[in-house]
Amino acid sequence: MNIPIRNTTAEAAYFQAGQAMVVSPARRAAFDRFMAGGLPHRRMEDWRWTDLKQLLARPFPPAAPVLTEARTVERLVALSPFEGVPRARLVIADGVYRPELSELPVTAGVSVSLLSDPTPIDADDPLLLLNTAFFTGGLKIEVAAGENVTLPVEIVSVNSGERAESFAPRIEVEIGDGAALTLVETHLGIDGSYVALPLTLAMLGAGARLDRIKVQEDAARAYHLANAHIDLGAEATLRDFTFTIGAAVTRNQGFVTFSGEGSDARVTGSYLLHDRQHCDTRLVIDHAVPRCTSREIFKCVVDEEARGIFQGKVIVRPDAQKTDGKQSSHALLLSPTAEFDAKPELEIFADDVICGHGATAGDLEEDHVFYLRSRGIPEDRARSMLITAFIAEAFDDVTDERLRDGLAARAEGWLDRRRGIADAAGNGGDA
Amino acid sequence: MGILEIKDLHVKLADEDKVILDGLSLIVRPGEVHAIMGPNGSGKSTLSYVLAGREGYEVTGGEVLLDGEDLLAMEPNERAARGVFLAFQYPIEIPGVATMQFLKVALNAQRKARGEPEMSTPEFMRLIRDRAQRLGISPEMLKRPVNVGFSGGEKKRAEILQMAVLEPSMCIMDETDSGLDIDALRIVADGVNGLRSPDRAMIVITHYQRLLEYIVPDRVHVLSQGRIVKSGDKSLALELEERGYADYGRDAA
Repeated sequence: MNIPIRNTTAEAAYFQAGQAMVVSPARRAAFDRFMAGGLPHRRMEDWRWTDLKQLLARPFPPAAPVLTEARTVERLVALSPFEGVPRARLVIADGVYRPELSELPVTAGVSVSLLSDPTPIDADDPLLLLNTAFFTGGLKIEVAAGENVTLPVEIVSVNSGERAESFAPRIEVEIGDGAALTLVETHLGIDGSYVALPLTLAMLGAGARLDRIKVQEDAARAYHLANAHIDLGAEATLRDFTFTIGAAVTRNQGFVTFSGEGSDARVTGSYLLHDRQHCDTRLVIDHAVPRCTSREIFKCVVDEEARGIFQGKVIVRPDAQKTDGKQSSHALLLSPTAEFDAKPELEIFADDVICGHGATAGDLEEDHVFYLRSRGIPEDRARSMLITAFIAEAFDDVTDERLRDGLAARAEGWLDRRRGIADAAGNGGDA
Repeated sequence: MGILEIKDLHVKLADEDKVILDGLSLIVRPGEVHAIMGPNGSGKSTLSYVLAGREGYEVTGGEVLLDGEDLLAMEPNERAARGVFLAFQYPIEIPGVATMQFLKVALNAQRKARGEPEMSTPEFMRLIRDRAQRLGISPEMLKRPVNVGFSGGEKKRAEILQMAVLEPSMCIMDETDSGLDIDALRIVADGVNGLRSPDRAMIVITHYQRLLEYIVPDRVHVLSQGRIVKSGDKSLALELEERGYADYGRDAA
């Protein structure tokens, strides 16, 4: 057994709580595996920019499933960017599924049930192990074969911030052969410091389609450490878009596995970061079978002293001929102290494949700013328009227009806040 | 309204000791069309950029007055609101910003700066459709991002469309003829001629006389090594066409 270098107070709180809890053997096994490694740190290659031993500077013991007051929950739920968009809406509050506060889908082919125990996943990833060991609750959505669910299903996961604890909800989704679902995951919080450890597990049958849109607006002092494991059957389609605005520290991990031939996945996202926010996306796209296509495109706006990271790995297994896999990340750095790091990785074991990657990072083009100003547009407005345009391209991947409008409104709000700061500073422009 | 006085203007590049304009003087009055011709490197584009307010240049002497006010002290957007418009030699592509939205924001920003009421969306739509039609610009093109994927001719036409919508009083056209075939040139020139009016002045910068067959200037100036070395009426352009710039300085083409 590896002895952790030294237990941090955060690790000690996890160890202490874990030893005392009474859980299923699967969850106990996950806890033991987590104990063996402890929190990830910078000497681990995948975690070099996100050292949780350092970043989790205080204990956040695992939360017990507690029902947060309905009024508090409803107040937070109403902050969803998709209020007013026709949809089913399921509520998770402080890590616990709340069917009594939810509006269930009415389509016959969709069922939603309480998830009593998380499905074990065999992997050493520390966030997966934490979610399994300290599971607080969750739900399971099943879509019957052939069912095309037209109304989006939103899962609003709110955090009251009342307790400085770790909340580990789980969403499990099974989409039957030929079925289609639009799943929106909205993570909201305003107050407090807490650790959100959500996990989404999705299985797509043959010819199935999942449009997944995740919006993360956790509280400014929160930690959002998320996992998504998505498995695609043959001829399946995945459209996955993640929008990160909130939390002090975000780690978004996505593991996409092609299990059947002829499937197509686009995993895209955008971050808008300011202050000292930190957002690290780690993707692993596993082409385990031939003839699949994957695209990863991330567009990030980083302001002030914030830091964005994109680490994308594409694995092409020996049999996975005719793979087409490309990834790119583009960052707009709005201040001299903003930072963006990109690390593409290709592990290719087949010979008849097309793979590539690209990354850019930089400020707005001064020629663009001047062109807009030369037409009469004041400088701060010109810069905002150009930032909006940069982000809008990332939203192009969200096909549902009303959902896209909700995202665009959030981006506008982010820019308004930024403009407000510039105005307050009395320069009307940029720092 | 809109008298431009350039007095003994000296300009160098901001980050190197390279003098570009070396004592340029010019007065442009409302309703006049002035052509500025000159060989490559004579300072034509620099003049247009300095008037529009682009960064990267340092004015080391002289002044530019617009209606008696110091133009060089104004921000580029203030200059636009005061009626200055530069049609770029190489119009910039702005991905993600639709042409229509861009023009509406620009027009209303200018109106706001002048203390005029903003134009409503329907009113604006009527204006832009009318102007676009006259220039043979399709509604589809207006929905596309500014200049993105436009051909050379479309970009120049889009510049003239912007001019027609924003209705500036001081139009500066920087090599608007470059890269245009004869048909595109005619469309652009017709568009420009349609905008000629007693209270609108134009500075047409060009390397070749060809454009001036279509946009007939009141005055022609030869720019060489950063200053105007000869002025005359439209016959000067024909003279230049025949004899070239060889008589005007070492950078002659």
